[in-house]
Order: sequence, then structure tokens, then C-alpha cells
Amino acid sequence: MTAQGIQIDRKWRAIALTPAAVIFVAMSLLPVLNLMAMSVHEIKWVASHSVWSYVGFTHYRRLAEDELLQAGIGNTAIFAVVGVTIQVVLGFFLAWAVSRIRSGRTLYRTIFILPILVPGILIGAVWKLMLNFDFGLVNGAIGLLGLHPVDWLGTRAWALPSVILVDIWHWTPFCFLLLLAGFESLPQDVQEAARIDGADTWTELRYVLIPMMMPVIVVTFLFRFVTSLKVFDEIYLLTGGGPGSATEVLSYTIYRTFFTQDRMGYGSAMSIAVLFGISLLIVGSLAASRRYGARA
Amino acid sequence: MNPWEKRAVPAFHLGLLLVAALVLIPFVWIIAAAFKSQISLLLGEVFFTPTLASFREVLFSRSTEFMSNTFNSLVVAAGSTLVILVAATLGGYAIERLGTPRWAVHTMLGWAVVFHMVPPITLVAAWFPLYREIGLDNTYLGLVLAHVAVHLPMALWLMTNFVRDVPIELEEAARIDGCSTPFLIWRIVVPLVAPGLAATAILMFIFSWNEFAVALNLTAKQTATIPVAIAKFAQGYEIKYGEMAATAALSLVPALAFLLFGQRYIVKGLTAGAVK
Amino acid sequence: MSQGPNRREMLVGAGAAVSALAWTPGARAQAARRAPFTIVINNSPWFDGFRGAVEAYEKESGNKVNLDVNPFGGSLEKQRASVRARDGQFDLLIMNGLYYQEMYHGGFLTPINDIDPAFRLDPQMIRYDNTVYWNAAAKSHDPSGKLMSVPVNGNIPLLLYRADLYEEHKLKVPETWDQLLENAKKLHNPPRIYGIVQRGARGAPNDVSYDWWPYLYSHGGSLFRDEPKGDYTITINSPQAKEALDFYIRMAKEAGHPQTGGLAQAQIIQNLATGRAAHAMLVIAAWSQLDDPTKSAVVGKLNAARVPGSANGKPAPVLGHWLAGIPKNVPRPRQEAALAFLNWFQTRDAQLKYMAAGAPPVRQDVLSDAGLMREPKNRWMGAMAQSSEFVKLMWSVPEGAQIGDVLELRLNQAVIGELTTTRALNAIAEESHTIMERAGYRTGKIAAL
Repeated sequence: MTAQGIQIDRKWRAIALTPAAVIFVAMSLLPVLNLMAMSVHEIKWVASHSVWSYVGFTHYRRLAEDELLQAGIGNTAIFAVVGVTIQVVLGFFLAWAVSRIRSGRTLYRTIFILPILVPGILIGAVWKLMLNFDFGLVNGAIGLLGLHPVDWLGTRAWALPSVILVDIWHWTPFCFLLLLAGFESLPQDVQEAARIDGADTWTELRYVLIPMMMPVIVVTFLFRFVTSLKVFDEIYLLTGGGPGSATEVLSYTIYRTFFTQDRMGYGSAMSIAVLFGISLLIVGSLAASRRYGARA
Repeated sequence: MNPWEKRAVPAFHLGLLLVAALVLIPFVWIIAAAFKSQISLLLGEVFFTPTLASFREVLFSRSTEFMSNTFNSLVVAAGSTLVILVAATLGGYAIERLGTPRWAVHTMLGWAVVFHMVPPITLVAAWFPLYREIGLDNTYLGLVLAHVAVHLPMALWLMTNFVRDVPIELEEAARIDGCSTPFLIWRIVVPLVAPGLAATAILMFIFSWNEFAVALNLTAKQTATIPVAIAKFAQGYEIKYGEMAATAALSLVPALAFLLFGQRYIVKGLTAGAVK
Repeated sequence: MSQGPNRREMLVGAGAAVSALAWTPGARAQAARRAPFTIVINNSPWFDGFRGAVEAYEKESGNKVNLDVNPFGGSLEKQRASVRARDGQFDLLIMNGLYYQEMYHGGFLTPINDIDPAFRLDPQMIRYDNTVYWNAAAKSHDPSGKLMSVPVNGNIPLLLYRADLYEEHKLKVPETWDQLLENAKKLHNPPRIYGIVQRGARGAPNDVSYDWWPYLYSHGGSLFRDEPKGDYTITINSPQAKEALDFYIRMAKEAGHPQTGGLAQAQIIQNLATGRAAHAMLVIAAWSQLDDPTKSAVVGKLNAARVPGSANGKPAPVLGHWLAGIPKNVPRPRQEAALAFLNWFQTRDAQLKYMAAGAPPVRQDVLSDAGLMREPKNRWMGAMAQSSEFVKLMWSVPEGAQIGDVLELRLNQAVIGELTTTRALNAIAEESHTIMERAGYRTGKIAAL
């Protein structure tokens, strides 16, 4: 390539990267810097002007003793780990079942995609009505079985499981879709070889399909795990974090602190801490996967 | 397929049909609820006289903003999708094919990963005061930019993957023919990644259409999107379940349309990157 | 201009204009064309009534009014965002009795007489503990201070009860909490019907605290030792408060809904409408839908009474009223347009329309109108009139929103049994004290329970 060609390349490289870079700087870097600035201040409104007073790391120290934040972290972790695990397992078996049949694949896939496409807030609205203690479909159905109605969203024991259940309904189809694509991309000859060796269905699953699917399973799990850390919409409508702090999740704690309680300084500290925590999580899992990869 | 599996096919179908029913029931139920009167809904009546009252309230009453909410959702979703496509295609191409230094690539992708993981509400907390300062709150531009920032990481990831699949030989041939970079992108890369572009576009549109946490806090009446409108009906201080069901039923329309006409692309977009 | 008005007509016209500017009570709004303006309001049970009033105003005056309707939880945030911006988008804020203080203290509102020195709040308009006035220097609701707002809703809780069941069981309307519990137990027949349904949910922003507060006050408890005198010592963990909370929870256990901790106002209305509640304390704004056959299965069966008190304490219906204020950061023509609406709104005629559209009025002469009271659909009016002398505020400090959030969480935890009442009240005291101390109030603590 000529010297001129390289020059043109450089110019266009800069141009091509500009839109994404500008968005990066303007929409994440600057706001986060501002957030950091706010997090070491107490912000009040006097005579319709904001007054910032420097408080150092007071807000950050307070985070450690914030029970609600701890509940939020705990619930978010349970929500993500339990919910996503069930979704991936269910999704795996659904995908496996669909990959075993010839007719009706498209039909099932079409139906299963539907929940992925509708707004989370709508899912919350629908299930809020379905889980209603007095007239909800779910209590109606268990009433037919002769069971007592349950206040799914209003009791401490049931609220988080109910929210997880809704999330499973919402996102298992997504896992199904990824895993089905995984099954469809598996080389056929390996499976046939296993069969010729006389492997039954379970042996084949255990020793052939699951190991071969592992990369897809891991990616699916990680992808869903990440998105479920961000859960907000469903909680907002279904429980509002209640009863008590039973379904308090990270996003909701930040929302209430920053917007409802109007504690901008403290809310900013919370946001920064979450940002930092998640970055650590990423770095940690990257390092772990590198070690795992090196060993494998 | 082994003999056991052949015999098990009806069982597979039975199980899958059951799951399909579980997926569909809430949709059927919410649509039925939209046709009930409020007291019929509250009493959990199975047999009811259908009424259009809730739809009338949502579509035509004085306090309704459903039409403007729909318009807002369309503007914001289309706007943010457009910006994302341009930024992600160019960015993906620069990362894959223009010899962007590794540190820049890592910064960019690292940022993409972090900002994909961070709850959008933390970002909203950061944007909100800035927006108010420069008057971007309650504007289309403000919400479009916010949606771009939230969803660009995933689009960048997708487009980088799609660009990677473009045969490099084609490009080299074009370069030897003396094609400039913009010409190359526009006439060779874009047509070749068109299906991927379509997949990304549909996904970004749906994500923006569905997004709630950001829209809730950065909009007001003039710019509120459909998810914000749905939330309005579901507050603890007043029952508007009929209207909520009707709004929910109406807001399903685009999802159904995409499912019917763009399913291939949706599957491609959702599964790209996960399966190589 | 040969066809123009003659001199006499001009003078009459000028006179009309002058009298319109003078804001005489009862002045007809159609006298002047006004700029379109925007009201920010929340979606609560009396909203339909307010909408009706706004429609009537538009028709009469020919002026355009935009309504920005928000969920209750989001309304305050929207108002904050608007008043803090350089140019506000809302010209009339409908502020809740639990957060208007933030707008007063923050200096976000224009004193109404700065817009028009001649404006007078009609003597018949209820002052709601003088919360419409604000003395910025003394930080108090002093009638000698400036008029900051006009009331638009006078929500207080009333005790709603099933009159049909009362007749059937020959019960007497309760005066004390013990009598209420007694009656509730007699009618308690779950799951068909619950003796009482209570708002025990952790609300956004207020459910359980608003429902419990009348119990607190009438048992002799309070949040602050003496708020009017500026003594902000936290007394929420007093033995009286514990007694009130224990009683509230006992009521839920013995005659209440099994899931009291999950019931917000919407579920209270729902339980009443479907005939599952024998009693409930509810703001009267929800009344009209309970008498509407498309929304209720108990049309004509409910009646209302003043909330009970304790055996040795007065009843204490708690104000959850709404005030309309005009922000500083909007153009003068829009401020004037908003004020023109308020001036129309405070007329007797407008209040009658307001009431006909389904909202309780805020004018004394309408609220105590003997003719209206006799109408069966207005059978709640007597209870409202009996309540007015006992009405109390929950608090008047702007930190209320933050303390409210603490209260909601802790009280809800007590209701669902996540915390004992002792621990819940101590926690509220501890956290409220921190909030007040940080905000620089003269505060303190009492001995923990």
C-alpha cells in the first residue's frame, strides 16, 4: 500500500471512530465525572439555586451501613443467580426438545420469541394483574385445584420468588433462542458417531451435547446475568421494592435515593460505587476466564 | 435420532405445547381484560360482556395521551436506531478493518462491556442534572442520545461481529482498484452486512421502544413514551386496570408486526455473537 | 370606524375589564383571553373531578389549559425538575400536603399577590391549617405571611363502612378504635369479607404512614415533640406511639386482610368496590367510583363517618390535602393565566361543578350546603363536616419526603412482621433524627423503647 493510502486510512479511521467516541465522552465520561463530583458534595436548594457543600467521603462511608443498599445487593444477587440459572436450564431443555423434532419448529420459535419483544413494564403490568390476590388468574387457577389463594406480591416469603418467576417467564425464551441456535450449529457427524456407538439419549446429552454446548451455555448465562443485574421495570410495577425490603433491588434503591428522596449527593455515591463494583466484577471474571482458558 | 427419541416425539410436542400455552396465556388474558368493565375485571369474572370503554378511554378521552405517546415512541426509537446504526457500523469497521490500535479497541470494548452491565438508572442519575443544566431534559434529542448511549455498546459488539464476516479479499481487491475508504464502506461493506444491519436495526428499535427507566426520568408529558404511559395506570393510588390492560394490548402491536415480518432478523440479531 | 362602539359602550367595556382585573370574587373568567398554560397534577381518585372542572373552565373562558398527568410517585420528581430549571415547563403545580413544603422552603413559588396584588383568597375557601400562607422569615404558616397557594383538594381520611351490614347486624358507628375493632371482628368473615382493610403497604410515596397517623395522634404520639414551637426532638419511639402501632397491627391480625402489608390505596379501593371490605379508612376522593355501577359492586351500600379516636384522645383525621402554587420560573402571561384559572376555581359556581364531576369541594359554603348534603349520593358530606375541627398535619418540614420514605419502609416492615414494633419505631427515630440533624434543625432523641 502506498504512503498516501495509509494516510487516507488514518484519516478515515479517525472519522469512522468519531461518532462512537463522541457518544462515549459526552454521554458516559462527562456524566460520570459529574456524578463523582456530586458524590462528594451535599446538594441543597436555597432560593431556587442549588448549593453544593463539600463533604468528602462521608457519603461513601455511609454506604457501608445502608441496610437498604445491602438488601438491594443481596436481592439483586439472588434474583440474578437463581433466576438466570433456571432460565438457562429450562431454555436448554426446550431448545433440545425443539431440536429433536422436525415439524412445528418455526411455530414454537415464533411463540417463544414473543415475550422478548414486549416492554418490560408491560410484562410487569400484565403479571401485576395476573398475580392479584383477589381476582388474578393465578389464584383463580390454584383455587380450582383446591388450594388457598396466595398473596404473591404482598408477602415477604413469596414476593421475591414471584418476581423471579415473572423474570423466568420473560427471559427463558431468550435463553431458548440462543441455545437453539447453538444446537443448530453443532456438527451433525459427532452426534451420529455417538449414536452409532450405541449411546442412549442421556449419555448423549451428558457426554456429547452438554460439553459441546458449553461455550454457548456460558455466553447465554453471562449475557442474561448481566441484564438481570439491571432489573428495574418489572420491580417498579410489581412490588416497588416491597413488602418491606423483600424485593429491593439495586436499580430501585438508586432510583428512590436519587429521585424520590432527592438525595443527589448520596445517590451519586451509590451510583459510583455500583459502577466501580461492576467494573471489578468484570475484571475479576475476565481474569478468571483467562486462567480457566489457559488451563483448558 | 435414536428409536427412543422417535417414540418420544409426541411427548416432546406435548411438553412444548404446554410451554407455548404458558407463554401465550398472559397475552390472551390481558387482551381479554382490556375488553372488561372495571368491576368485572376486579371481580375476576370469566364470562363477561365485552365493552370498548377502556379502549375509548385510552384512545379518545381528554386526559389520554396515547397517540402522542405512540408518536414520541416512534420518533425516539427511529432516531436512536439511526444514530446507533451509523456510529456502530463505522465504529465496527474501524475496529475490524482500519487497523485501530489495540489500546483504543480495548478501551472502546471495555467501555462497551462496562456500560452494558451498569444499571441504566445510574446513568440517568448522571444525565439528569446535566440535561437540566443545558435544557436537554424533556426533549426528543435528550432521550434519543440517552438511548443511543445505553444501547450503542451492544450494537457496536454486533456490528463488529458482522463486519468480521465480510471477506477481506473483496476489500483488498477493491483497494487495489483504487477505492477510497468511504466508497468501500458504502458500496462493499454495507451491502454485505445488510442482513446484520437489519437485525441490529430491529433490535435497537425494539429496545428503545421498550425502554422504561431512562424514559421515566428524562421525559415529561410532551415526550413521554408508551412504557411511561403504561406505568401511569399502575400506581398504588388509583385503579386504572382497564386502561392499563387496553394500553398494554395496544402496545403489543409493533412487537407482533416485527415478529411476523422480521423474525429472521430478530433471531439473527439476538443470537449473533453468542454462537460462532 | 363609523360602525364602532359608541362612547357609552366603550365605558362599559372598560368597566368590565377593570372589574375583571380587580379579581372580585365571583368574577367571570371569560372576561379575558389568557395564554395557554400547563397544570401538573397526579393521577389520584379525585383527578376525574379536577379534569371536569378544567373542562368547564375552558368552555366558559375559551382559554386553553394543558393537563400534565403523572403517577403519584412521579409527580413530585417532575415538579422538582421543572422548578429547578431555568425555564419551567409547568405553570401551576398541584402539590401534595406532604411535599408542598419543599416548594415553599426552596423559594420556587411566586407569591400570588406578586402576580396580581388585588387577588384575594375567597373567605369561603378552606385554609387547611393556614398552609396556603408562608412567612419566609419565620418559616411558618402565618396568615400574616404571603399567600402562596390556593387549595384544590381537602383530602382527609374518613371511615367508610358497609351501612347495609351495619343495619343487618344492628351495629353502631364507632367513636373509638376499640369499638371499630369490635365491629370489624363481628363482620370479619374471610375470605368472603374482611372486617377492615388497612393500607399497610410500603408506598410510593405514602401509604402505611398516612393510614396509621390518625392512630398515632389519637394515642398521644407524634413525630416531633412540638413542631409549631420549633422543637424537632424525635418522639416517634414513645410508649404512646408503640401502643398505637401495636393496636394497628392487632387490628390487622384480628379483623383485617391477611395481606395487609401488601395493600396500597388502590387495593383498598378494590376491596371496597368488590364488597370484600366491611370497613376502610379512605380519602373521600375515591367515593364517586364506589357509587358507580361500572366500577363497583356495592353501589349505595357504603356510608362514611369521622375516623375514630382513642378512648382518651381526640380523633385525628390527617390532612392529605393538595395546594396549587405558581412557580417563579415561568413567563408572566402564563402565571397570569394560571391565576385566572384559580380565581375562577374558587367561585361557588366552579366548586359546584367540581363536585358534580366527582371531586370533594374546598369551599366551606359548598361543603356544608344543606341541600347538597341531603342528596343520597353526597351522604359522606356530614362526616366530612364533623371532621374539620379535628384535622391535623403530619408535618410541615420539607424533609418530610425523606422521612416519609423511612416511615414507609419501617412501618411496613412492622406490619409484615419483619421487625418488631419496638425495633421499627426505634429505627424510624434513629433515621429521622439523622435526617433532621443533618438538615440543621433543633432536634434530639428520647430514650429508646
